Amino acid sequence: MAIQTPERPKTALKEPTKRSRWTRTGARPRPTNAFELYSWYFFRVSGILLLVFALTHLVVMHLINNVEVINYDFVRQRWASPLWRTFDLLLLFLALTHGMNGVRTLIYDYVQSKGWRVFNISVLYIVGIFFLLIGAQVIITFNPNLPSLPAK
Amino acid sequence: MQVTLKILRFDPEKDKKAHFKSYEIEADPLDRILDALNTVKWYKDGTLTFRRSCAHGVCGSDAMRINGRNRLACKELVGDIGKKITIEPMLGFRILKDLVVDMEPFFEKYRSIKPYLINYEDPPATERFQSAEDREIFDETTKCILCGACSGSCPPFWSNSEFIGPAAIVNAHRFIFDSRDQGSDERIAVLSQSEGVFRCRTVYNCTDACPREIPVTKAIEQIKRVMLYNR
Amino acid sequence: MYHKYDAVVVGAGGAGLMAALQLVGKANVAVITKLYPSRSHTGAAQGGICAALGNTEEDHWEWHMFDTVKGGDYLTDQDAAEVLARDAVERIIELEHMGLPFNRTPEGKIDQRRFGGHTRNYGEGPVRRACYAADRTGHMILQTLYQQGIKNKVTFFNEFHLMDLIINNGRCVGVTALDIKTGELHTFHSKTTIFATGGYGRCWQVTSNAHACSGDGTVTAYRAGVPLMDMEMYQFHPTGLYRIGILLSEAARGEGGILRNSEGERFCERYAPTLKDLAPRDMVSRFIYQEIREGRGVGPNKDYVLLHVDHLGKEVIDSKLPDITDFARTYLHVEPYHEGVPIQPTAHYAMGGIPTDIEGRVIIDEKGTVLPGFYAAGEVACVSVHGANRLGTNSLVDLVVFGRRAGQHAARFIKENDYEELPTTPEKRSNDLLRFVEGGAQSGRKESAATIRKEMQECMMTNVSVVRNEKQLLTAMKKLQELRERFTKVGLTDNSTKFNTEKLEVLELGSLLEMAEVTTKGALERKESRGAHYREDYTSRDDKKFLAHTLAYRSPEGSVKELRYKPVTLGRFEPKERKY
Repeated sequence: MAIQTPERPKTALKEPTKRSRWTRTGARPRPTNAFELYSWYFFRVSGILLLVFALTHLVVMHLINNVEVINYDFVRQRWASPLWRTFDLLLLFLALTHGMNGVRTLIYDYVQSKGWRVFNISVLYIVGIFFLLIGAQVIITFNPNLPSLPAK
Repeated sequence: MQVTLKILRFDPEKDKKAHFKSYEIEADPLDRILDALNTVKWYKDGTLTFRRSCAHGVCGSDAMRINGRNRLACKELVGDIGKKITIEPMLGFRILKDLVVDMEPFFEKYRSIKPYLINYEDPPATERFQSAEDREIFDETTKCILCGACSGSCPPFWSNSEFIGPAAIVNAHRFIFDSRDQGSDERIAVLSQSEGVFRCRTVYNCTDACPREIPVTKAIEQIKRVMLYNR
Repeated sequence: MYHKYDAVVVGAGGAGLMAALQLVGKANVAVITKLYPSRSHTGAAQGGICAALGNTEEDHWEWHMFDTVKGGDYLTDQDAAEVLARDAVERIIELEHMGLPFNRTPEGKIDQRRFGGHTRNYGEGPVRRACYAADRTGHMILQTLYQQGIKNKVTFFNEFHLMDLIINNGRCVGVTALDIKTGELHTFHSKTTIFATGGYGRCWQVTSNAHACSGDGTVTAYRAGVPLMDMEMYQFHPTGLYRIGILLSEAARGEGGILRNSEGERFCERYAPTLKDLAPRDMVSRFIYQEIREGRGVGPNKDYVLLHVDHLGKEVIDSKLPDITDFARTYLHVEPYHEGVPIQPTAHYAMGGIPTDIEGRVIIDEKGTVLPGFYAAGEVACVSVHGANRLGTNSLVDLVVFGRRAGQHAARFIKENDYEELPTTPEKRSNDLLRFVEGGAQSGRKESAATIRKEMQECMMTNVSVVRNEKQLLTAMKKLQELRERFTKVGLTDNSTKFNTEKLEVLELGSLLEMAEVTTKGALERKESRGAHYREDYTSRDDKKFLAHTLAYRSPEGSVKELRYKPVTLGRFEPKERKY
């Protein structure tokens, strides 16, 4: 999409401009399109949260417990606690949305044609949301009270 | 000293593809790259084409890629660059001829952010007052000479021809942070579009490329913050 | 290609943009520039723009007028100087309203500082009159005016090279210009034409001027039969970087910098005991010239002197003179904190040019006959407000004051007059010129433009610079005539049509050669010393014979046909000896 220069807002002449915080006398800006702003902001917040979540995940799943110990029973025990379920649900959500946001910006950087952009973004959202949904379904609907698998 | 200039050549009337051509010249270590280019043009190959005017870094005509970095040819000395100098036109711009690139889209983007003071009140009989501190806030971004070195060094600008680019954002900054200006919302409406300020990936190439030492990336981040804090 | 505009402005520097801004909304206007507007050489001005605002101390426009007249060694037309000093005040306020980010006083007003030659109470002592935006005042003026041009949707023809001025039935009816990108010739049919094309400093080897400053506008008018005024009055700025001529602003000396010769002596003290290093530009240039000539120059060739700021301390250098130190470091690898910066006088500003009246209308004889529809403003014009020596900052004042007046008068002219027809072959002279240049690709045309230019620049530097004498001027005339002869056989290796910069350089050389000759001829015939024109064989000012402007007319083959003299407009201030 080309850069559009919107005409001067008609209200500007009537309304005296408000003073803002960032300069003592400057006009207060009001962005019309907030999606890019919030996605940028979300990027930063989710990035910081992911750092905490992913590191905790790494420590719990790979350092304290090694791969040999992790089995169905281990998972069943963890997900018996709503705390861990919430933790994993959040990790899933943040990792996927953060990642999707990143891929979205890559598509904007490298795909110029409008049609291809729509196509790529659609594929991204469909795949992303699909994984988000089945991931969430597993975490939410998992029944920790099922008997454990018979040992081999 | 003996210097080899390897220059990317392209003649729209003859060539299908750009190609490198090398020139051996004798240069003083204190010669500017622009002097070296002139030596080639005047005494070796008159067809070499590049823009130049002031020759001391204030007009912004001769931004080009020198050994992989965007620089003004008139602000770099041969002795500082070395014996092997590769010169290409800036990336992210269409090549018109040799080192001359099409600046029209660049200026169109510059114009899109309304680069002029907007104030809807009638001016007073005297000057508009502004404190020295308020004046200081946007001092750095008033230095811009529109050479295009920042935009031409920006990876998102290379890959996305619609991205407004750092130069336009710097000039928006110059007015958004000017206490006399009342057009911030109009400019921010442009910059918050999908090809506006949020295509910036904070690569910092622009800050490195700026021949006027404007902290370009910092200016861009300040605009993003203003957009967030003032919602 | 044919275009029709009420007004065509040639040149998009300060004067051109200011003129164009007066016309938007009143007429349809096109601005032609051979660069992009933001690349114009106005942007290189550093120090400031003077106006008697009195923001920091008492000041009056009459004082400013006096300084301008005295600085110009009384060759200044006093009606013009009055307009300059009076209008300056309003223009500065107007620039501020347009958004120019001036430095501010603690109360928030436009800050002002001292500048060479600007005094209080008719020469009593220095006054704070220069409004400034850090050390890039010219840059900010250019940017601000260009921004206003964008706001007002001015039509720009960027990268168009001026070819010819078209005159029909005693009226100026437009110009032709070459589209550099396509190589196509365009004809602009107009009611009014405003030239704001700048100077011709590239005639000299060491110059502060841009490569683009090749006198295109001056030569075009000259070739069309308009005389050129006071061309021998060419200012050399004392402090150009050694060898390359980049300007170190007067601010360096204003802040306390001093000049020293090879013996470490502060030589300005000897020549100007009171003002010392801050004497006017023409004088300091002569002091330096004299030191070098007497063998007290510095360096292996003893051909420069040193500008010292090291005694001022790091803080002062960093806060007040950042650009200057930056230039010294970048281009000479000299560290101004600890050592002197090599400097030499550099060709800087043409006081002369196309003669105009105070409305910017071009005049074509000593009686002040106007060529209707043709205007000029800025360095290309000679109002004459700078007389024999321009004061620092007055060039920027000139741009905005007379750029505006030319635009305003043109707007009235457009309203009152209809289009005059174009002649039957408006493009003939341009095509002839282009065909001559393009003919350089043929065999037998072996002269190199670069060599001719180099020889011209060296000749002008040696013979027609700060100090002149008859012998040297005659040598220069002979050399320039020889070069003009060789130029008829100039070669061309690039025969492409698009963006052919080699072709442009040949065109520019053609204009520089003529400018060099007019300058030399004027200097040869002005047998006195006045302002920037110093003759060691006629060391005193001769008000009886030469209190007059030189008007140079061109012969068809390109040499100077005749010189006439136009009396100076006197007024308020009687010519006195110029002492500082």
